[in-house]
Amino acid sequence: MSALRNVALVGFAQGPIVARDRHRMSTEMLYPVVREALAQVGATRDDIAYQVSASTDYMDGRPFGFVAALDVMGSWPPRQDLHLEMDGSFAAYYAWLKIQAGEADSAIVCGHGKTSEGEPERILNLALDPYYQAPIGLGPTATSALQASAYMARTGATDADLAAVAARSRAAGAKNPDTQVREAAAATALQRTDWAVEPLRTGYLPPIGESATCLVIAAEGKAEKLCERPVWIQGVDHRSEMQSLGARDLSRSAGAKLAGEKALAMADVGAAKDVDLVELMATTPVEELILCEALGLDATAKKPVVNPSGGPLCGHPIMSTGLVRLGEVFRQLTGTAGERGVAGARRALAHASMGHCLQQNIVWVLGAQRRWS
Amino acid sequence: MKRPVAVVGVGQTHHGARRADLSIPGLIREAVDRALTDAGLTHDDIDAIVIGKAPDMLEGVCQPEQFLVGAMGGYMKPVLRVHTAGSVGASTAIAAMTHVASGLYDRVLTIAFEKQSEGNAMWALSPNMPFTPPLVAGAGGFFAPYCRAYIAKTSCPPHIGPMTAANARDNATRNEYAHLRDPMSVEDVMNSPVLWDPIRYLETCPSSDGAVALVLAAGDLAKQGPRKPAWIRGAASYAEAMWVPGRDQVSPRAGQVCAKHVYDQAGITDPWNQIQTAEIYVPFAWFEAMWLENLGFRDVGEGWKAIDRGEQKMGAHLPINPSGGVLCTNPIGASGMLRLGEAALQVMGRAGAHQVDGVENALGHAYGGGAQYFAMWVVSTEAP
Repeated sequence: MSALRNVALVGFAQGPIVARDRHRMSTEMLYPVVREALAQVGATRDDIAYQVSASTDYMDGRPFGFVAALDVMGSWPPRQDLHLEMDGSFAAYYAWLKIQAGEADSAIVCGHGKTSEGEPERILNLALDPYYQAPIGLGPTATSALQASAYMARTGATDADLAAVAARSRAAGAKNPDTQVREAAAATALQRTDWAVEPLRTGYLPPIGESATCLVIAAEGKAEKLCERPVWIQGVDHRSEMQSLGARDLSRSAGAKLAGEKALAMADVGAAKDVDLVELMATTPVEELILCEALGLDATAKKPVVNPSGGPLCGHPIMSTGLVRLGEVFRQLTGTAGERGVAGARRALAHASMGHCLQQNIVWVLGAQRRWS
Repeated sequence: MKRPVAVVGVGQTHHGARRADLSIPGLIREAVDRALTDAGLTHDDIDAIVIGKAPDMLEGVCQPEQFLVGAMGGYMKPVLRVHTAGSVGASTAIAAMTHVASGLYDRVLTIAFEKQSEGNAMWALSPNMPFTPPLVAGAGGFFAPYCRAYIAKTSCPPHIGPMTAANARDNATRNEYAHLRDPMSVEDVMNSPVLWDPIRYLETCPSSDGAVALVLAAGDLAKQGPRKPAWIRGAASYAEAMWVPGRDQVSPRAGQVCAKHVYDQAGITDPWNQIQTAEIYVPFAWFEAMWLENLGFRDVGEGWKAIDRGEQKMGAHLPINPSGGVLCTNPIGASGMLRLGEAALQVMGRAGAHQVDGVENALGHAYGGGAQYFAMWVVSTEAP
């Protein structure tokens, strides 16, 4: 591998995560966060070389949902551009590659999705293969329940263990004014919630929300001009597994494990537990337990703190949920995370996933220090 | 670009209105297998995969790349999914190029597909959107006013569209992979019904099932392959906002800017004389004249005259779409990558019966959205 450039997160803006924004269209939700992110870095759109957006047509209920976003991303004069039908975290990865290739020195990365336009449970059913899995009506809740069963059977984890994870997320989310559900809930109370699909209870599921997000990244040399405390990308990797639920061990995440190993090696960090905090895109308590196992983390240890934001169990704006994890790390390492801030945090890990049951995973290692000299 | 990148393998399926013999993964696999065989490589040699297609609603599968991971050979590899409307096939290949250029990946497989017989493109492209008058007319209804505007702006005579369509069909008779391979005359086109004025039935692209895959490799590795590589000398993707006062839909600025950026990288100052063939995205016949101007091959108002003189035909000055192009084969998500792959085949000298003589530089081009997204590359026989 040839030498890599230091690239940093320099600005991040996020709209309020709400179950339904009755007053604004998708583009109206995106426009203010683009303006806010640019204002944070004191730049105009002309100062930023590249743009990538992340959304999925089905969530907006129309083809080409991303085309309208061009107008509010400041695409005039014409911009170098790409759109990924993926979570914003993967769009950030492509922007990072573009900078590594020497084709840009900076980029804005937008995530948007208006989940209230449709029924995400039914839409994500359509992401399963159309011959065998989709026709039997599986949605993300049902596939997550299959995964939970597999994990509990293998490890002996109990309902109380799941409730404990959910309760910890909820306690953290109570300190996060930017997330959707901000009320702590005791594990015992969550254990009294109804089954969604056994063994998952409604209290263990994420609130599906909508929001828009905008991240600004820049290469060394420019990053320091745009931001007082750039958060440097030290390592990143992503991997995909097969979709078929019967073709993989649902109780584990081989993809997150490999992506984590590669990202940590790139960052020259010995183990995930050596960082100060971790933001995981875990949409169920079981996903959190599986991801912690894959990354070699003990979620109950004092360090690293897992999901100090409350994680997706307190706010799940689909297509931005992964990008919010990067944004949370940015806030933590720039000391702007407020009450949920982890004191003295210098290095962190951010994760995102796509697909059912953690099919595709991306792991980022980020720090206050440059990786390459 | 940090390091040189070349196309070292091209594979495409046979295209048709309905490939009933194949599932969606089967279609992908046919293209992937051919591209890997062409490159003399196996799945083990591939470091990452970039896949693109047009709206998921065309087949009714949301984010289908996830269910296609096995068919692509993507197990435990990095997989990204691109969607930039009609230009997607081209911008997907360019995203794959960036993967190699970054230095992080040595060989990348890139794939684009559409299996339009699985759904109904006209329905999928005509939703009822808030605050927008319902069009319910698909892409033809959307682009017909652009064609009318071109005709009004340049006094383009009515036989130019039919000439373009007949020429495309003539070219496709020599392309074994093309969907529509029956020749037709200018009169046939003129006599076909008008669908959306001025676009006649035989001036429109078909709805096809098909897929294409390319293998891209970094400089030194590209030289080791069994084939002469097609070197990517310039590539870019640009987009522009829709609602800009005074925006020129006939010759969008994003297309001009993108072409200039690509030519500058490739050292091309006179595209008409330095490029020997071009595969450009012409879904409705009138766009060929429009793009000749937008891409800087001809001055404003001169594009249709070049077509009238036959300068875009096989054996003439600048053969356009020797494969028959989108007018003969249109698996929407794959159409852009087919343009780039066909340009690569031309500089490799391996385009078979539709090979243009003496190609040193070739342009591959695609556009999408409301003529807002542009992606193109110039490939060359010479390494940068």
